[in-house]
Amino acid sequence: MTHAAANHPVLDPVFAPPFPQAALPVLRNPQLRKNVAHAIDVIQAKRAKLVAEKTDWKELRSAASAIRAHALENLGAYLEEFETRCTAAGGTVHWAADAAEARQIILDILRQENASDVIKIKTMTSAEIQLNPFLQAAGVNVFETDLAEIILQLGEEEPSHIVVPALHINRSQVREIFARRMGLKDLSDDPHALTAAARAYLRQKFLTIPTAISGANFLIAETGGVAVVESEGNGRMCLTLPRTMITLAGIEKVLPRFKDLEVMLQVLARSATGERMNPYNSLWTGVSHGDGPQRFHVVLLDNGRSSILSKPTERQTLKCIRCAACMNSCPVYRQTGGHAYGSVYPGPIGAILTPQLMQMHHAQSLPFASSLCGACYEVCPVKINIPEVLLELRSQVVNQERKDLARFFDPMYLGLRIANLLFAKAWLFHSAQFLGRIGIGFFTRKDGWIHALPSVGGKWTQTRDLRGFPKQTFHEWWASRGPAPGPALSKEAR
Amino acid sequence: MRASLFITCYNDTLFPETGRAVVSLLEKLGVQLDFNPKQTCCGQMHANSGFRGEAFSQAKRLVRLYSDTETIVIPSSSCVAMIRDQYPGLIDELGNDSLRKDFAALLPRIYELSEFLIDRLGVEDVGAYFPHRVTYHASCHGVRALHLGDRPYRLLAKVRGLDLATLPNVDRCCGFGGTFSVKNAEVSSAMLAVKLHDVVSTGAEYCTALDNSCLMHLGGAMHRQYAGMKTIHLAEILASTEASPAEAAR
Amino acid sequence: MSATISAPGQSRQRILDRIRLATQSVAQSAPQLAETCEALPRAYIRHGALPSQARIALMIERLREYDAEVVESTPAALPSVIAAQLAASGKHIFVVPPALPAEWLAKGFDWKIDNNLTTAEIELAEGVVTAASCGVADSGTIVLHHSPAESRRVLTLLPDWHLCILRASQVVETLPEYFDRCQQQPTLATTISGPSATADIEMTRIKGVHGPRFLHVILVRDEI
Repeated sequence: MTHAAANHPVLDPVFAPPFPQAALPVLRNPQLRKNVAHAIDVIQAKRAKLVAEKTDWKELRSAASAIRAHALENLGAYLEEFETRCTAAGGTVHWAADAAEARQIILDILRQENASDVIKIKTMTSAEIQLNPFLQAAGVNVFETDLAEIILQLGEEEPSHIVVPALHINRSQVREIFARRMGLKDLSDDPHALTAAARAYLRQKFLTIPTAISGANFLIAETGGVAVVESEGNGRMCLTLPRTMITLAGIEKVLPRFKDLEVMLQVLARSATGERMNPYNSLWTGVSHGDGPQRFHVVLLDNGRSSILSKPTERQTLKCIRCAACMNSCPVYRQTGGHAYGSVYPGPIGAILTPQLMQMHHAQSLPFASSLCGACYEVCPVKINIPEVLLELRSQVVNQERKDLARFFDPMYLGLRIANLLFAKAWLFHSAQFLGRIGIGFFTRKDGWIHALPSVGGKWTQTRDLRGFPKQTFHEWWASRGPAPGPALSKEAR
Repeated sequence: MRASLFITCYNDTLFPETGRAVVSLLEKLGVQLDFNPKQTCCGQMHANSGFRGEAFSQAKRLVRLYSDTETIVIPSSSCVAMIRDQYPGLIDELGNDSLRKDFAALLPRIYELSEFLIDRLGVEDVGAYFPHRVTYHASCHGVRALHLGDRPYRLLAKVRGLDLATLPNVDRCCGFGGTFSVKNAEVSSAMLAVKLHDVVSTGAEYCTALDNSCLMHLGGAMHRQYAGMKTIHLAEILASTEASPAEAAR
Repeated sequence: MSATISAPGQSRQRILDRIRLATQSVAQSAPQLAETCEALPRAYIRHGALPSQARIALMIERLREYDAEVVESTPAALPSVIAAQLAASGKHIFVVPPALPAEWLAKGFDWKIDNNLTTAEIELAEGVVTAASCGVADSGTIVLHHSPAESRRVLTLLPDWHLCILRASQVVETLPEYFDRCQQQPTLATTISGPSATADIEMTRIKGVHGPRFLHVILVRDEI
């Protein structure tokens, strides 16, 4: 689907509308919701089947979680080890404190290479730092090579999922984009035809553009190696054919040992695409004479990660291996898709990662974009307790906001403050119940139900009725029945 | 066997019939039940809304209230989850040693209703009679926080006359999520619509669960949409007999 | 956040300092680090339990699930099985890595041996024949370490048809066993689990986006 400029989702957390607002256009779009639900149902079913088949799934999760936690706790040592070994193998390692620096480092390398064109493997990290528009503005043509990324690039769309970024787009929408942008008037909407069109479109680019940019799924400290996990083969193209390779990786991507891949690859493939193993994994170390790029750069990106690292509860956010199992299992994401989160990282992981990358200055609605059902934690291959982090971030947002005097009279803030006072003393609570019963009586219809409430209550009664307050609370009933009766008396008491 | 009932703030105010059913059920099973009239709230609403300090003061109050109590039964899996999952962090961070000690002693004495019946009393057949087609919704806290497993099903299986209809996507969240239902009302309603569709598709007369929070949300939509179905807490089904059917007790 | 570039090394120090500060209560010193890493829980399945026949059968089954064509061969029959595969392909021009055994280069085909072939030359090939380093039965995965008999990476990437000769003795059941076998960690490795695929359009798995659409495997029964 092509959005008119006005409807173009803003995936910059600095400017994106709050989640409840951003979700509205999606909730009103049955086609989009259907696309999302279909896609995640397919992946979920495949994942469930393979997890059921894997008798050591629990143990794999435990190991994956432990390895990632250990790597984060010792991140400095492992990053330095990676740097040493990668450099010894002919790579050049750069360190970028923030997005702007990372962009500039990459542009500087491209200028050194006189590169006016660049082919890219999908990397959410590059979307995080908004690399493409920056390079385009500097006169570099950026060609995405993942099928989903091409769809998004040509369709001027934004990603809505971190593994299947175009899942909100169906085949006829893809056909429309390709026909228009590739000039293929007779293109059918059969996925095979669409894929063949993409293959042909990209072939020449792979063979002729000498500079590539990738992300990294894992950085191996022990060997200085980099691992890229993919399905289509465009990764292999970009990693093998060009002369110069630039890999952008968040500092949290490091694994201590080569052998750790035996755990991570098993859990990643099953979690991300519901396969025992994804079609291609590429591992390379620095520069290999006679094989592949002879100039290799790694750009290590902080951009807020070291800050997340410093917080004991939040640190687990960085264990993420970008499998997207959390968003596939999320009943909220299922309804809203990814764009509502206003970030290239949507879903449950986005709800905790995005605000933290923003140092809690933006995206404060995201920690509340969850019913805390826990489905994400259940499927996370590295056991990130997302609900726990959501709750922690909620309290941080509230602590920030409650200082603001304007919030004092916000119905939610005021209501919760008052409720807390009422809960402190039984007689206050009971009085409130009594008064509440009277008050709500005004809104209660003859059938004993409430159909409309003012203010915050109106949010409930938009779509739901509320049963009227019973005439007697439980505690009043208990007090009224006297001493505890035997079984015979219980009947009468009712 | 003695036990103390923590009714929960919202059951006390909105669903006293669930409390009455718990009392009738447990007393029938020989439990000497008491009720501390000073109880108010476990603090979940505040904790989940980000009001940690407030949640802590309620947690502290609850712990102190029950420090001498042998066994506490709570007909709400989300409140039990609050105590098990969030109290440790709150009390560790904001409490003192004495409170930590009291809480540590209290924790193993807290039971959600189905846990109490099956694990403490060792009963599955409580002598219930409820001749209706019923579908069971597995609340998120019950499934993922308390790991209740098949306890509710084992209890339902022994209810005479009850025709249990399997709910598709049984453990998919209904969309209530506490204040989420108003802060993200539209998304909550979208989730509710999906859940209601599944519930109605079972052809059941009643939808039951271990949490009135979910049931209030589902029941509210059912009533609004003339779904022809009602909600009922599992305790009320279990307390229902030929002589005293659940409907009459409401 | 302005686009100022710090002097080389300045950001590096800043980031490492931030990390050190962030993890000072949990980070380990060098000697402890290795020990702690060793002691991390690894209770997952390390070794398969399948006997050799079943392991090979599983490998073949999983390969076929990915639509790879698999035939078996004895070591003696290998050259003729290769020839038959090549003949059945309908293709004529093949690229091969320089250390591929000469007896595998069946007569009647146009063999381009990779002594630094250009990309354009590789593009003219219709297929590629290589050996392999390892096979993982559990996931039907073939691992290439890009040794002289396995080819530079580009060779198994550009042609549309890949014939891979995998020895039974190279097949393990589980992924951890592959890692166990790596005496030295490979500098380069590519794992192949079926032909390339995408599921980006409505989750329909489409084969062969980039990379060979046709994968043929000859499983050589070199174990007694």
